Amino acid sequence: MANVLVFAETRGVALRKVALEATTAARALADATGGGEVHALVAGPPGVGAVAEQLGKHGADVVVVVEHAGLANFNCEVAAASVAARVKGASYRAVLLGFSAQGRDVGPRVAVKLDAPIVADVTAIQAATGDSLIVQHPGYANKVIATLEVKSPLAVLSVRPSAITAQAAERTARVDTMAPAADPAASRVMVKEVVEGGKGKIDLGDAPVIVAGGRGLKAAENFKIVEELAAAFGNAAVGATRAVTDDGWRPHSDQIGQTGRQVSPQLYVAVGISGAIQHLAGMRTSKTIVAINKDKEAPIFKVADYGIVGDVMEVVPALTKAVHEAKAGH
Amino acid sequence: MGTSNLVFAFILTLGAGFFALNVQRLVGYMQIGKSDDRSDHPLVRLKNVLTIGIGQTKIFRDPVAGAMHATIFWGFMVLTAGTVEILIQGVFSKFSYALLLPKLVYQLYAMSQDGFAALVIAAIAFAFYRRLVLHPKRLEGDKLEHTDALIILGMIGGLMVTLLLTNACQYLLDPSAIGPEKFVSRQLAGLIAPLDPAPTRLFTVFWWSHALLILTFLNYLPYSKHLHVATSLINVYLSNTSGPGQKGVMRPMDLEADVDHFGAADVEDLTWKNLLDGYSCTECGRCTAACPANLTGKLLSPRKIVINSRQRLMEKAPVALGDHMEFMHPALVHGEGDDAGATTLTEVLEHRLLDTYITEEELWACTSCRACVQECPVSIDQLDIINEMRRNLVLTESRFPEEIQPAFESLERNGSPWAFNPGDRALWAEGLEINTMAELMERGERPDILFWVGCMGSFDDRAKKIAVAFARILKACNVNFAILGQEEHCHGDPARRMGNEYLYQMLAKDTIGTLDRYEVKTIVTSCPHCFHQMGNEFPQLGGNYEVIHHSTYIERLLQENLVPLQSDHGQRLTVAYHDSCYLGRYNDVYDAPRETLKRSLPVINLVEPPRTKDRGLCCGAGGGRMFMEERVGKRINVERTEELLATGAETIAVACPFCMTMISDGVKAVQSDVPVLDIAEVVAGQLA
Amino acid sequence: MKIAVCIKRTPDSESRFRIAASSTAIDETGLKFDIDDFASYAVEVALQLNEKQGPGEVVVYAVGPDAVQETLRKAMSMGVDRAVQLKTDSVPYDGLAVAKALAAELAGGGYDLVLFGKHAFDTSSGVVGTATAELLGIACVTAATKLDIANGKGTARRELEGAAETVEFSLPAAVTIDEGIARPRYPSLKGIMAAKKKPLETKPAQLGDVRITVKALQLPPDRPAGRIIGEGAAAVPELIRLLQTEAKVL
Ligand code: SF4
Ligand code: SF4
Repeated sequence: MANVLVFAETRGVALRKVALEATTAARALADATGGGEVHALVAGPPGVGAVAEQLGKHGADVVVVVEHAGLANFNCEVAAASVAARVKGASYRAVLLGFSAQGRDVGPRVAVKLDAPIVADVTAIQAATGDSLIVQHPGYANKVIATLEVKSPLAVLSVRPSAITAQAAERTARVDTMAPAADPAASRVMVKEVVEGGKGKIDLGDAPVIVAGGRGLKAAENFKIVEELAAAFGNAAVGATRAVTDDGWRPHSDQIGQTGRQVSPQLYVAVGISGAIQHLAGMRTSKTIVAINKDKEAPIFKVADYGIVGDVMEVVPALTKAVHEAKAGH
Repeated sequence: MGTSNLVFAFILTLGAGFFALNVQRLVGYMQIGKSDDRSDHPLVRLKNVLTIGIGQTKIFRDPVAGAMHATIFWGFMVLTAGTVEILIQGVFSKFSYALLLPKLVYQLYAMSQDGFAALVIAAIAFAFYRRLVLHPKRLEGDKLEHTDALIILGMIGGLMVTLLLTNACQYLLDPSAIGPEKFVSRQLAGLIAPLDPAPTRLFTVFWWSHALLILTFLNYLPYSKHLHVATSLINVYLSNTSGPGQKGVMRPMDLEADVDHFGAADVEDLTWKNLLDGYSCTECGRCTAACPANLTGKLLSPRKIVINSRQRLMEKAPVALGDHMEFMHPALVHGEGDDAGATTLTEVLEHRLLDTYITEEELWACTSCRACVQECPVSIDQLDIINEMRRNLVLTESRFPEEIQPAFESLERNGSPWAFNPGDRALWAEGLEINTMAELMERGERPDILFWVGCMGSFDDRAKKIAVAFARILKACNVNFAILGQEEHCHGDPARRMGNEYLYQMLAKDTIGTLDRYEVKTIVTSCPHCFHQMGNEFPQLGGNYEVIHHSTYIERLLQENLVPLQSDHGQRLTVAYHDSCYLGRYNDVYDAPRETLKRSLPVINLVEPPRTKDRGLCCGAGGGRMFMEERVGKRINVERTEELLATGAETIAVACPFCMTMISDGVKAVQSDVPVLDIAEVVAGQLA
Repeated sequence: MKIAVCIKRTPDSESRFRIAASSTAIDETGLKFDIDDFASYAVEVALQLNEKQGPGEVVVYAVGPDAVQETLRKAMSMGVDRAVQLKTDSVPYDGLAVAKALAAELAGGGYDLVLFGKHAFDTSSGVVGTATAELLGIACVTAATKLDIANGKGTARRELEGAAETVEFSLPAAVTIDEGIARPRYPSLKGIMAAKKKPLETKPAQLGDVRITVKALQLPPDRPAGRIIGEGAAAVPELIRLLQTEAKVL
């Protein structure tokens, strides 16, 4: 029987999705080791303790709340120190957190403070016996999956966002409060400003979805169907082939390919792109590729997971409409 | 000897002396360049002088201006003999070639003098007309250039007129002195006679004008682009652009050399031959008029490259050599581009050829198509300067368009300019039952030829089809061939053309190692760049193979009737063939691809675009341009494609995978649906 | 300013990987190794900072077998002043163990800034940088996409999920570098020649306990071959279904 501590990350007073995923993973681990408790620690501005209920619903037995006015912005040093302090005062089998921007910061610091081994970007916890944990961790840009053994009575694991689906495990969490284990004002790193994204243009490098257009669009003004499709996805950036940027239909910064940006989004929609070598070199590693082109011999179909042969002017607006509907139906 | 003889002797000594001094200085300046041995193959060089120089073959590539220039040139050669006679006469009044030559020869000589003088006058008149009225585009430079040209034309005209007038006066004074061979002079005498039947004074005036004009002309040369009068034949002799040696081969480079920089950033880094090129440039602009980059609106002008090197030499050499004769440095000052002329010593030292005169942008615009070199009437090697300067940019300064960095990195890591998995190199051949060298070796067999597929053929979807087509032809002809498969990687030519000699040598040496390990003798490839590199440049690194381009190889197979062709040849097809630079201008392969087309499609109607064969317009991909953006001006491939489509061709044939990409893109860009096929695909399509 | 950059030698990301017979390592035959991409951004950032700040020193460190010397030379050919190899037979998967070796070495170095890549291509963990900073007891910023040093203080920008933050930090500090911050320079031949003469020191690495071991490596299932799902707008509903149920990207 061993307890598991989760660092449940928040932004402001709101819980992040990955915190629930980590809680679910912790629940499973605690159950697997003979029914230990799951404790979740949140650190944030006053009011952040309200997330306890949500954490409880996902399997947290105890929520440790660290509230401080100086924690309006995420403070890595305070978070790490508080997690470490909590672990030192009790007995835990593992510390779990998300492999997110915050988690990347907090995880290794906690590991050092506790001198515990850390595995980052874990996609599955497969077994726990005695001092040994078996976890899965993808390496080599997801081209190789490693099964790792961590031998230690205490380990830190950060879980890959979305790899584990958050699940309900209804409980009413007890709330423990705790003072920050470090002075927020004395931090060596201070957040000066947070700019929420989503409003401005999404950078090609960050966009989870890219809709790119090629010469198959025939004219600059037809590019608007690409923009409309991107807008329908909501989180998409617009890219273009070299032929298109050379023709001045789009700025050069939009170019994807050997001589432009190299991207690998979750979803790449190639509209009227034949798939010349120069373009493929920039997008081949995208996770899912959709191609729409009138020429069924076009090389793009060789790399595309899903291809539609047809006139882009007909298919793309239909797809835009369907994506809107799919999103609305969610 | 009279007083006037003495005075003339004095003036002659002065004039000739000053000219000699300037020649000496110009020769000295040239020597700040690096050494370069051009003492080889005197016979080939002599042949070049006779054809390109004396025969004016390159000049005649522009028939109208060619005829004009050749007339002046040949006139000059002939009249120089007369000039010498006149100069000697100035000192020894009684001298005449008649004293030395048999009568008939002398009469012929005398006739040629008069005849050419008249022809030259006509040519000069046309030249004036051309410059002042017609304004041909390629002669557009800054104003100075025209002034210089007009002065020179005026002087030559003046020389001819005064020569004839002197003769005419002499005839009036002593009819026996001018024989009937000098028919023009005699005619002219008839015009003067009414003015003054015994024109002693006029004779003196014309004679002196002519003699002084000769000396003035001579001494004007070092200050003018017309220095080429004195240097062009020498330059043609020393040039390698039409042989000896293989054309278009980049200079070998010692990377282990203990130098503080590589390539050329300033005139000292060029060879004396490059600098002599500067002296020889006539500013005719033929190179620039043929330059695909220039004619589609890019900044690059090969003429400017040459002129800039000369300008910078004139600025730098006096300082470098401590030539303190401030007065009248041979100037050749006028040039192209912003006048970067230094006014202070510090400025001279701060300047350099790169950046001050020639910008990075110009250098990267070059497609290495060799059209400029091909056109130059005085055998200047513009491309050599560009290549050396690119080497400096990459090897010494690490400055290049950022989009070629991925190409360099991929070449280094993946053995091809694109970031493709090297393990996928032979995927195109899957299921075709093509042997690899390794497989044959294991069985103790050896193929007759190695099919070098090249990176395009291996990775580019369109070019893979060419590789398959060629392999099918080989199979149909029962040729015993093999590929290297995964052991093939880029030989480094793109890196070399982009100035990255280090990367090139690494890849090339490795390739040579592989080829030698398999004791390869004969290589056939469908890529002209591979063909040129492995055949012509590998010997620099100790790789000696017989390398054959697939157009030549297929032509041979067709000639020997080895290719099983379909018997019915369908409908008549109009095909335009686009010449690849590396096949054509680099290797003189013009006929093989055309023959291949004709033999495999007997009902073909082969049409030629206006710019064809050695004047063919580049597709825009060479010189590493394939890996760079083309942001300025019109796209070269579109320009070329439009020209090809204007022939009315129903199919465009190419013999290079890079041309294939560029022309196919061009066809798409102009929204045409004319198919672009490699000659191997044409032949494969006709296989029985 | 004195800057240390800790780099890693990793195989080219375009490679097709195979698992070695031992099943706990990848088969290295035919793989091209080079300085890790993120580490090369860090080197570039260090060089740019050094150029901007005036004379200072940039030193690279790498933990690993002698093969890393080539990688260290590469960094020196870009302009780094000197290099230190912390020698081990192999680099363990345990980032904390590696961090201990680096921290032990960096501790007395007097560095104002220690840079790392955001993570390395092979282990993709992003542990070493932060852990080293924590061991050294200095400030740490992860995944910086912008970095400025002025008046003894640093400012950095980091991308969060769907947001970006600007942070200010005191020196000395460790910063891990994300992509997009700077394009690593291409070493000139001059730089390559110079790098041959620069000092490269080799010391035994004082690795911490290695508590993470590889049990097995596997290749993910092959990407299914591309397929054409239909023609024209009629194929759209099927596409949406596949994106939702199979690819799970919608
Ligand atoms: S090689 Fe071709 S592109 Fe380059 S300068 Fe000469 S003509 Fe222009
Ligand atoms: S380099 Fe040759 S072709 Fe070009 S302007 Fe000079 S003489 Fe004419």
